[in-house]
Amino acid sequence: MDQLVTANVATNLYWLGRNLERAKQMLYKISKAYDLIIDVDRDAGVKLFQTFDIKLEYSDSVDFLQQAIMGEHSSNILEIMTNARESAIICRHRIDSEAFGEMIELHALFDTLTKTDIEIDYKLIDKAHSLISEIYGALAKREHTNNSDLFIRMGKLVEEADFRLRFNKDETITMTVIDEIDAIVKTLSDEDEESTKQTQSQSSDETDLITAINTKINQVIVE
Amino acid sequence: MLEKNTELHAKFWEIFNKQDRHKVDEFQTYMDKFAVNFNLYKDGNFIEQSLPFDVVPRIISTEEFAKIDKGLQQRVKALNLFLEDLYTDAKIVKDGIIPETFVKEASGYLKEFVGFSPSQKIRAHINGIDLVKDSADDEWVILEDNLRVPSGSSYPLSIRDTYRKIYPDFFENLKINPIKDYPSMILESMEHVSTGGINVVLTPGRFNSAYYEHSYLAEKSGAQLVRPHELKVVDKKVYFKNYNGKLIRVGSIYRRTDDEFIDPKFFNPDSLIGVPGLVEAYLAGNVALMNAIGNGVADDKGIYYFVPKMIEYYLGEKPILKNAPTYLPYFEEDRKYIFDNMEKLVIKDVAEAGGYGVLFGHEMTALQIEDLKTIVKANPRRFIAQELIEFYDEKCYLNKELQNRKADFRAYVVAAEDIKVWQCGLTRYALEEGNYLVNSSQGGGFKDTWIMEL
Repeated sequence: MDQLVTANVATNLYWLGRNLERAKQMLYKISKAYDLIIDVDRDAGVKLFQTFDIKLEYSDSVDFLQQAIMGEHSSNILEIMTNARESAIICRHRIDSEAFGEMIELHALFDTLTKTDIEIDYKLIDKAHSLISEIYGALAKREHTNNSDLFIRMGKLVEEADFRLRFNKDETITMTVIDEIDAIVKTLSDEDEESTKQTQSQSSDETDLITAINTKINQVIVE
Repeated sequence: MLEKNTELHAKFWEIFNKQDRHKVDEFQTYMDKFAVNFNLYKDGNFIEQSLPFDVVPRIISTEEFAKIDKGLQQRVKALNLFLEDLYTDAKIVKDGIIPETFVKEASGYLKEFVGFSPSQKIRAHINGIDLVKDSADDEWVILEDNLRVPSGSSYPLSIRDTYRKIYPDFFENLKINPIKDYPSMILESMEHVSTGGINVVLTPGRFNSAYYEHSYLAEKSGAQLVRPHELKVVDKKVYFKNYNGKLIRVGSIYRRTDDEFIDPKFFNPDSLIGVPGLVEAYLAGNVALMNAIGNGVADDKGIYYFVPKMIEYYLGEKPILKNAPTYLPYFEEDRKYIFDNMEKLVIKDVAEAGGYGVLFGHEMTALQIEDLKTIVKANPRRFIAQELIEFYDEKCYLNKELQNRKADFRAYVVAAEDIKVWQCGLTRYALEEGNYLVNSSQGGGFKDTWIMEL
């Protein structure tokens, strides 16, 4: 029998995975740029955000953290966390309860910043990374045991592929990530469906890969 | 007035006094972390908040609860028979036990459903019966029957798990009845009435005040949580829309939506939280709805007056649990008594719920009482009057000190092949000392309820 998941829950599980991975990758990149801004390359933050078509301005390394995490732009970590929290609440009945609790805590970590004068520093980033690792750990307990976990994993991998392509990471590993996405799409779809063709064979160049992946995901989740 | 201390209470305090009080804060941390919320709309804003929780449980001995259990089974059995009778043969009306006009004027009575009998003839599947313990005679008294969409069971269920982790001493040293079977009681009921297909919990959505509970009960009972547009009615059959577009037949719906919003094709056409065509499928016998449509007539505060009579009429038994002494201004003799004694009575509007529409005579001025008499005289069916019951206070550990608060008890009674009473319930306490209103919507909090023995 089919695994039963509504399209809304499936979509929110998928976006929970994407937003968590997006936060993880962004925090990692912010952390690296912060280190460079201190005494190596003052424009490291500007360059990082150019990758996302965002013009970021800051006065020093500490201000960079503030602007990168809480600034008014689309890669604002608080907004990513708010979206992830919302997805988690909608599909809480389909995710591990510990992972859910850590997710709420992760959001609260950033939300508190809007209500207090706490200065953003490296400890906050470390704490956020730890919580994300804990969430992944909790989710891994049941990973691949039902469709709910596959939707989260699919979101995580799509985001990972997106980052790898944006930052020109090692192609072999990127293709391995995409192969895994293909495998999940196959599991979630009927096996004889056209959509389960290998993404790599469908795409002529790397820039088309994400479009190809997104098309498949739209075929998996039918609204 | 505080309930008398028993050996069970003494044992509790003996253990409590040895515990680290700082750990009490961990309950709130838990509720925040796991978003154990009861949401509210205030001034047009959606506010996510947890229900206030008090660590001191209400303690009921297994012996005392056995009587409550028996009395509630009896009551819910009679209420189910009443609903089935009322919507089919209406013998109770024909035999003059309840006046016909009285039933027909009940806002929850839906004449469109006369002649329809639901799956297994069960109408009140999941019921929340509100009781208080009267300090005058130490007896439990029924205050209200909630046979439509009673909420609250998920809060004690969630907190019990946490309690066991934070303070295991109590559970190691006392014989406290386990409570984890509630979701399986719901599942049993869903399976019993199912017309064939999967079970779903129908929620209005993420912004409903009780979304946490909908989600929790769906997860624990193994039912699918669905929003209205995730169900589709085709040829008078209800289907679950799976993520891949496939339609899966639904046999039983535990709906958390009121009658008037459940199907825009049948009831309120403006409802955005209904499933178009659902009522047609229900009337065709193709899906079970829990609870049945039209149950509102039985938890009408005016009909409550007749429940002891129903028990005698349908079961030929004396009620095990008593009602609060209630008067209906609809009857002339009662009206005279009410008007002569209004300053000591509690006047309730039958159409209100959640602690709204409740007036305490002793808090009203002479002028207000005269005004109220005029209103009651003009529309006697709309009101009931009850003697004020001095129900017991419970000890609460609030702001790091013990304080007394009035507390009621909502028991959950689930009907499947048999009627079962959950060995727990929702004890609600009032926000302020001396306040009689314990409803969550009035700012009240909740406690765990321990049915236990030494």
